[in-house]
Amino acid sequence: MSAEHRSRFLTRRQMLCRCANGFGGLALLDLMTRTAGAATRAPHHAAKAKSVIFLFMDGGPSQIDTFDPKPRLTAENGQKIPIDTPTTVFNISDRIYASPYSFRKYGQSGAAVSELFPHVAECVDDMAIIRSMVADHSEHTAANYFMHSGSGFQGRPSIGAWVNYGLGSESENLPGFIVLESGLIPPGGLDCFGSGFLPASYQGTLFRNSEHPVADLQPLEKDPARQRAKLELLGKLNRGVLDRFGQVSEIEATISNYEMAFRMQSAVPDLLDFSGESEATRKLYGLDEELTSEFGRECLIARRLVERGVRFIELLSPARKGLDRWDQHSGLENGHRINAKSTDKPIAGLLRDLKSRGLLDQTLVIWGGEFGRTPCAQYPDGSYVKEIGRDHNPFGFTMWMAGGGVKGGVVHGATDEYGYFAVEKKVHVHDLHATILHLLGLDHTRLSFHFSGRDMRLTDVHGNVVREILA
Amino acid sequence: MKAMSVRLAALVVFTVCGSTAALGNEFFEKKIRPVLAEQCYACHSAKIKTPMGDLRLDTAQGLASAAQGKLMAAIGYTDLKLRMPPQGKLAPEVIADFQKWIEMGAPHTLGENKTEASKTIDWEEARQFWAFQPLNPPQGDHSIDSLLAARRQNLATAPPAGKREWIRRVTFDLTGLPPTPAEIDVFLNDDSAGARQKVVQRLLGSPHYGERWARHWLDLVRFSETNGHEFDNDKLDAWRYRDYIIRAFNQDIGYDQLVLEHIAGDLLPQKRKSLDAAYFESPLGTSMYWFGEVLNSATDSVKSRADTVDNQIDVLSKTFLGLTVACARCHDHKFDPIPTKDYYALAGTMHSTYVREAVLDTPGHAAAIRAAAAQVPAHIKEGKWRLREGDVLFTDFSDFTGWDISGAAFGRQPYFGVAASWDKPLVGSLTSARFKMPKLWVHVRLHGTQQPKGQPGLAPVRVTLVADDHKSQHFLPNKSEGWHWRTIRMTKEIGRSCYFEIVDRDPDGFLAVDAIIFSDHQEPPDVAEPGEFRLSSAPPNGVPSSYWGMVAGDESPHNVRLHVRGSHTNLGEEVPRGSLQIIGGARVETGSGRLELARSILKSPLAARVMVNRIWKHHFGTGLAASTDNFGQTGARPSHPELLDWLARQFIDSGWSIKAMHRLILSSDAYAMSSRPHPDSLGKDPNNKLVHYMPVRRLEAEAIRDSMLAVSGTLNTTMFGPGVTPHISKYQDGRGKPVSGPLDANGRRSIYIQVRRNFLTPMFLAFDYPLPVSTIGARGSSTVPSQALLMLNNEFVAAAAETWADKLTREQTGPDARIQSMYLTAFGRPPEDWERAELKTYLAKNGSWSDLCHVLFNSAEFIYVR
Repeated sequence: MSAEHRSRFLTRRQMLCRCANGFGGLALLDLMTRTAGAATRAPHHAAKAKSVIFLFMDGGPSQIDTFDPKPRLTAENGQKIPIDTPTTVFNISDRIYASPYSFRKYGQSGAAVSELFPHVAECVDDMAIIRSMVADHSEHTAANYFMHSGSGFQGRPSIGAWVNYGLGSESENLPGFIVLESGLIPPGGLDCFGSGFLPASYQGTLFRNSEHPVADLQPLEKDPARQRAKLELLGKLNRGVLDRFGQVSEIEATISNYEMAFRMQSAVPDLLDFSGESEATRKLYGLDEELTSEFGRECLIARRLVERGVRFIELLSPARKGLDRWDQHSGLENGHRINAKSTDKPIAGLLRDLKSRGLLDQTLVIWGGEFGRTPCAQYPDGSYVKEIGRDHNPFGFTMWMAGGGVKGGVVHGATDEYGYFAVEKKVHVHDLHATILHLLGLDHTRLSFHFSGRDMRLTDVHGNVVREILA
Repeated sequence: MKAMSVRLAALVVFTVCGSTAALGNEFFEKKIRPVLAEQCYACHSAKIKTPMGDLRLDTAQGLASAAQGKLMAAIGYTDLKLRMPPQGKLAPEVIADFQKWIEMGAPHTLGENKTEASKTIDWEEARQFWAFQPLNPPQGDHSIDSLLAARRQNLATAPPAGKREWIRRVTFDLTGLPPTPAEIDVFLNDDSAGARQKVVQRLLGSPHYGERWARHWLDLVRFSETNGHEFDNDKLDAWRYRDYIIRAFNQDIGYDQLVLEHIAGDLLPQKRKSLDAAYFESPLGTSMYWFGEVLNSATDSVKSRADTVDNQIDVLSKTFLGLTVACARCHDHKFDPIPTKDYYALAGTMHSTYVREAVLDTPGHAAAIRAAAAQVPAHIKEGKWRLREGDVLFTDFSDFTGWDISGAAFGRQPYFGVAASWDKPLVGSLTSARFKMPKLWVHVRLHGTQQPKGQPGLAPVRVTLVADDHKSQHFLPNKSEGWHWRTIRMTKEIGRSCYFEIVDRDPDGFLAVDAIIFSDHQEPPDVAEPGEFRLSSAPPNGVPSSYWGMVAGDESPHNVRLHVRGSHTNLGEEVPRGSLQIIGGARVETGSGRLELARSILKSPLAARVMVNRIWKHHFGTGLAASTDNFGQTGARPSHPELLDWLARQFIDSGWSIKAMHRLILSSDAYAMSSRPHPDSLGKDPNNKLVHYMPVRRLEAEAIRDSMLAVSGTLNTTMFGPGVTPHISKYQDGRGKPVSGPLDANGRRSIYIQVRRNFLTPMFLAFDYPLPVSTIGARGSSTVPSQALLMLNNEFVAAAAETWADKLTREQTGPDARIQSMYLTAFGRPPEDWERAELKTYLAKNGSWSDLCHVLFNSAEFIYVR
């Protein structure tokens, strides 16, 4: 971003100085902001994590090709799978498709990771790999809603909204729940990040990968002085409104929001200005390589958001030409390779950077999709072709967590010999949610909001904290 | 009067007692019972034959003895011999909850000597709850003001609002638009006693009234024009329901009639006709059933259908009864007298109901269409093909038994052997009976016109296969191919309940279907004789159009079995379908039972109470019962039960006239109070429970947008018709993204912007527009920075400010006249001297009228009404 461009945005301090004689009502507005929004709230118990970075792998990466090796698939490649299998979305094949990738053990813990993630694999000693994830839905949209809100339907608050509702935000100038994208919105749309029945202030704010990442954040006025002049006039008129209407708290809050809005206008460009980041840091995140630059940018922004006190940051996987997210119903071998390559180095860079800055302990990093994939091949009309893919599988898949109070070097739970169903220490999505909230100091049974005649929870009436992976 | 105040005092006491007991029970339900169930019942309940230590915690006696005895010592692990639960000490906060519960006197909701499993509802006791009591309006002469005054006692009310405030308030309330300066002038100059009534009468006669109140209603029925889920496909004809409800409000159709029409409009013996008698209105109400989310490709179709029904029950019960019946899906309602059996009685009714695309023409209109359509002879000859082993002929249309004929196109059958809409201008549909899909492949032989290029949405000429009521696949013709086969592979449909729809909705199109064949073969059968299809001439002009709608119908009515713990894989006893017991609803044996259900709702005191409370809410900001959609135990108790019942009685006596209710409420002194409370009263009743002033209210999203259009002079007052595609900014993305509509939606009112479930208008969402998922009788009113950003930087707001400035500079001469006009149109008042001076100062420095217009849009006075 050019200096000229940046000069259009003023810091809060500059703002206060420059407007000492101008922007009427600022002090009043400032006072009101405290009551209007960004206050923090005490957790239920001592928190390990202050922020969450959710690396959401839209489309459903395959567990058996990434973090859950299954030698038996190789042995029985192409044969009919000898176990009862459920109806799948395409419901086409019951023939085994062995992973085309090799696995190797890493770190002191010796956890196995496939060749898809050579960089992330180096971090296994900081990760708890959960191989026994279970979700409730086989369709993307329902599964996305479920992974985000604990319900397969539209309209429930997303976990990022719940976390901010529970803890409040530490950031004065930025929303507490930010979603970073690079051209792909998951099925189900922006409702995956909605606030549902919670107040609208908790909804996720989408940051696009562009110069102007947030809607309506770019001032209309080409000349910043012009906007200030308008705001100054507005401040005067609004004080008149308070005289006329009385000290109505909603109106006071509405007026104070203009100051917050003004600050956000400059906070976001400041966030995206990487000029203070070293060359080594840029390299660490893969900003210098075409394939990794987009997700690397998301990861670097995520770290900067953590530094700014933003509670919940979600990263969406980048769009790749010719690929439909991680959703490889065909062409899995090449598709997963490209998706992994686009994200592997940036994710490892993020983990290392957080660690070296002492932020990993207080930042919970979560990786995973809305479900996993079947060990069976999917190919059109029964003809065995090169472009083999896999169908959706919510019955057993892998996610991993790192930092924020999670025990490193752990492999938790297991799927059956074919990697189809979770069989040991199943971790349901509700359990995952309970664990995330727990690490943030929130008791999932107590974090509730009265709606529709009952106290609604992220975990509904379910959920158990997975204590075995806690540090 | 004296007798009444005594009764009021008694009521107050009763309410307080009631709520304490309710609090205790709620505490038990929320904090204690779940712990008992999870930690204790494995050993101490009817779950095992001989409860450990002979102690049962699922009976009132057992629980009481434990509470009075060793419970705290056991769970506190202070008794070395008795540590419970043995698997590990409870969390300290849980133990604290138990301590608190015992201090409260160990209240519980377990029946005496009854186990949890066999807990039954004491119906006598249940009916004592205020909401289920018959209407009990106070006897004698009363008014809204006298009944409010009776509870206020000595509390001073706010002074009357000024005339400008009042007309602005009532105009927004009834039309969602600001009053024009001319309308304000007329009112200011009218000193007659009936000046206010005249304004109310004028506003109720405005077509904008229906648009405003229809939008409130759409919140209740989670109105949406797409299916959401992965691809956000269109819901056909949803806009026709929106138009129906606008017309209904404008024509003041009785609320009782609306209830009947929504639940069972297709079953009414006397269906209401449109004003021009061309089509039936009543069935359109039943569109309500299908506005929910639809799964794109369900792997568990039974569950998917059960979820759809659950949403239907949720919306229906909240909207018309103010009851949260959906809570009883998995267990008896924890607070209200709604056993799970009642839920599945309703579910049976919903499972016996389906929704279909139908022509709603009245017989007279249909006759006119046929008369106008000259008999254009066409030549049709059926083809011949060879069935193979593994082919099953579903139909070759040698007869039409089992096909439901709608509209004129397929109505006359001089030919057999082909289903053909062979008179071009005619439209209509054929719907098959249901069947279980037997084979992997479906071949359809057809001939017809394809969808015009660039026309969005579903093809108007098509053969559609519907599986499990929601999964649709389309066989689309291509005219240039003549007779041809279309083949679709069934992936998950085998064995599932399916039906075909053969549809020609295009007056310029035609469709002929020769055969439908299920097969083991991917290739269609060989054709021996191709058949012929020839239209002889151009269609005649001047044929009136048909009216379509998505309407309900009964189909193979059946009972469903209770789903134990809400699971469709764990079925219990069969439940006779019908209505809720608490409203005296009987079970039915024939038909779906929807008409009986509607009638039982109308007999219930809840019907009128819930609706007048909704109307009150929209005029006073809060309902007399604050929880507009929940009149149950966990809902709010009415602040003025006698007023609520009095209004309900007036409502019924007026023939359920919604407009009469507006007139009654709007003519009250209470409605005319200022929004500045009396200083003494604010301290005594800060929350305005006793209605001693009119609260300041923020406008809804749509009213804010519509006001900008109105003020800037670009409001397009066209009513009705297909919705305008919403404007899609670059910040909106995802599957099913429509081609963006114009930024200003052609100036149409917000209610005419398509409600695309996955692409709701960001400006609306910022101002608390509800997601179309369930009944919302009271929207939120949040204040967040994104609202300020939107008003400051959004291109629509900026464009409206520009347009307004153009209009101002064109129509008014000189700064004073312009500023005067700005204030009168935007705020309904002239500017004060200091305001005029500030605006002029700004103008002198910056010279831009559009800046000033923009600032006024951003003023709190623009979006708040007092």
